[in-house]
Amino acid sequence: MIPLLRVELTRLRWRRAVWLLLAVAVVVPTIIVISAILTSRPPSAEELTRIEQMVAEEREQPHVQQELESCVDDPDMYGVSPGVTDLEAECASMVEPQVEWYSSYEPLSLRDQMDFGEGVAVVTVLTLLLMLAGTTFIGHDWNSGSMSNQLLFESRRGRIWAAKGLVVTLTAFVVAAVVSSAYWLLLWAVARSRDLPSGTGLLVDSLQFGLRGALFAAGAALAGFALTMLFRSTVATIGVLFALSVGAGVLIAVIGLSGSWQPGPNLEAIAKNGTTYWVEIPEHCYRQMESGNEEVPPNSECDDSRDLSLTQGATYYGVLLLGSSVLSAVSFRRRDVP
Amino acid sequence: MTDLVIETSGLRKEFRNRKGRRVAVQGLDLAVPAGGVHGFLGPNGSGKTTTIRMLLGLARATSGSMRLFGRPVPEALPEVIGRVGAVVESPKFSPNFTGRQNLLLLARSIGAPDGRVDAAVQTVGLTGRDGDRYKSYSLGMKQRLAIAATLLKDPRLLILDEPTNGLDPAGIREIRETIRTLGESGVTVLLSSHILAEVQQVCTSATIIGNGRLLASGTVDDLLGSSTAYRVAVPDPVAGSAALVAAGLTPVPDPAGGLRVETEDPAAVTRALAGAGIWLTELTPLRPDLETFFLQLTAADNLATSADATIGAGR
Repeated sequence: MIPLLRVELTRLRWRRAVWLLLAVAVVVPTIIVISAILTSRPPSAEELTRIEQMVAEEREQPHVQQELESCVDDPDMYGVSPGVTDLEAECASMVEPQVEWYSSYEPLSLRDQMDFGEGVAVVTVLTLLLMLAGTTFIGHDWNSGSMSNQLLFESRRGRIWAAKGLVVTLTAFVVAAVVSSAYWLLLWAVARSRDLPSGTGLLVDSLQFGLRGALFAAGAALAGFALTMLFRSTVATIGVLFALSVGAGVLIAVIGLSGSWQPGPNLEAIAKNGTTYWVEIPEHCYRQMESGNEEVPPNSECDDSRDLSLTQGATYYGVLLLGSSVLSAVSFRRRDVP
Repeated sequence: MTDLVIETSGLRKEFRNRKGRRVAVQGLDLAVPAGGVHGFLGPNGSGKTTTIRMLLGLARATSGSMRLFGRPVPEALPEVIGRVGAVVESPKFSPNFTGRQNLLLLARSIGAPDGRVDAAVQTVGLTGRDGDRYKSYSLGMKQRLAIAATLLKDPRLLILDEPTNGLDPAGIREIRETIRTLGESGVTVLLSSHILAEVQQVCTSATIIGNGRLLASGTVDDLLGSSTAYRVAVPDPVAGSAALVAAGLTPVPDPAGGLRVETEDPAAVTRALAGAGIWLTELTPLRPDLETFFLQLTAADNLATSADATIGAGR
């Protein structure tokens, strides 16, 4: 088995399309992290001076002064109460440009990145690209017909399937883990340099987030490989995956299954170690809420949010992965090879 | 008893598609003895490649049994595949890899040293071009690379499906010599080819199939039969003819020139002519060649199959 693994690793190494996809899997998260770092940067003293100067100039503009006078004359129109003690100052704060308008920024937060930010986006990008890498790697063997040649040297088809699948999965995991870890380490280092919350616990949480995402992406690469072994064509696999990505959500909604069946929340549940999704609540719950201030018990009929655990997410995707892998391996063992 | 390297019994393969079932091989009994070059002949679509693909585990037989080196396949294929080199239909390699890269991957998958790739490349005359991408190869070069791949294993059985396809005359001659040498060295070669003159030159035995069935099998000499007809050339055909008639023979004019005589004893011809003082200039046994034999056999089989189909349709 070891020589076969080495051969498949070499084959993967020599495939330029795979290299290209792996390069994109590094470049896109790099762009995302650079963007996150730049947009969360506090303005420099130089920038503040420039903003203050710009605001001062703006305040001197005749139309701003006219607005100010208009506000003082008719404060109601500007939402200012006429009874305030310093009407002019209140109107000025409403009408004149303020420095905060131009200098506000969202400080970098690792927690927010995990819960609402680009963390899930990075996992999604890695998943798509590595799945494509797994697909194109094996699709080439089928397109060129070289699969039959390989079987003339190693006729145990189970071994061939396992060696190729293992190499795809491990390579995808290593790439995803390295990219994810670099992503979170960089954000953590930047947060630390800006004296923002960056405790060890937060670092461990974010690295775990990245590793769970890497495992998910590796599983997706294996799924891409397995489906291509089943369909024997990269194009067919991509077509089926595209149809599923478009149709599955719609179908689940039409059938009336809950959000826990949707792919998105399950991906988030894995990456975030559990997530919340939203559900429609019955009409009477709204009446109940309007009639009094009764507290809605969590996960009750009238609670519009539901928890989805990591285990549930992993089971959802695990069953899909196992199903496609078994089907693919059995099909490869039994069907004629062109 | 001769050891059989390839043996099939009642081998059958059906393909199912939207139009229904198609039988590619029907109850084929094949026996290829160890050593020598065995021709595997049949018209297009007769089931040769399907049979080869079943033997190599690329296709599953619908029914029947197969043995390679006495071991049942596909069950014991992993035990024997290391002794089998094969080129099935057109060569199939990764187009973006170089010829050498393609061979290295195959050699390493069986734990063969990289040095064997160099030897194989040299044997098939691809030295200097092995670093080029496979997609830039001509058909002949692709064919050579496929043959080089079979040599990576040091095989005891070579299965070659149209190995000279796309080669130039010099290449064909080289490959023919390689096949002959391999056959003489104890390697069993199963040669599937449409070039019947080539098969007759190289093969010691042959199997002919048609419509997925065995039509004839045996040594080439047995298949073609011993010759009883001879072409006789003499300076004076009229006098020669008279001498042969006097000896109890029945000469007739041969369309290719000279006389044609049917006899079990060719010495009777020389005796009769020498007795009459006539010295022959040519005495050639007239034997049907493999091509004629093949065409007669497959034409008869097609006729029988058509008749069967007509009778079946009439029922």
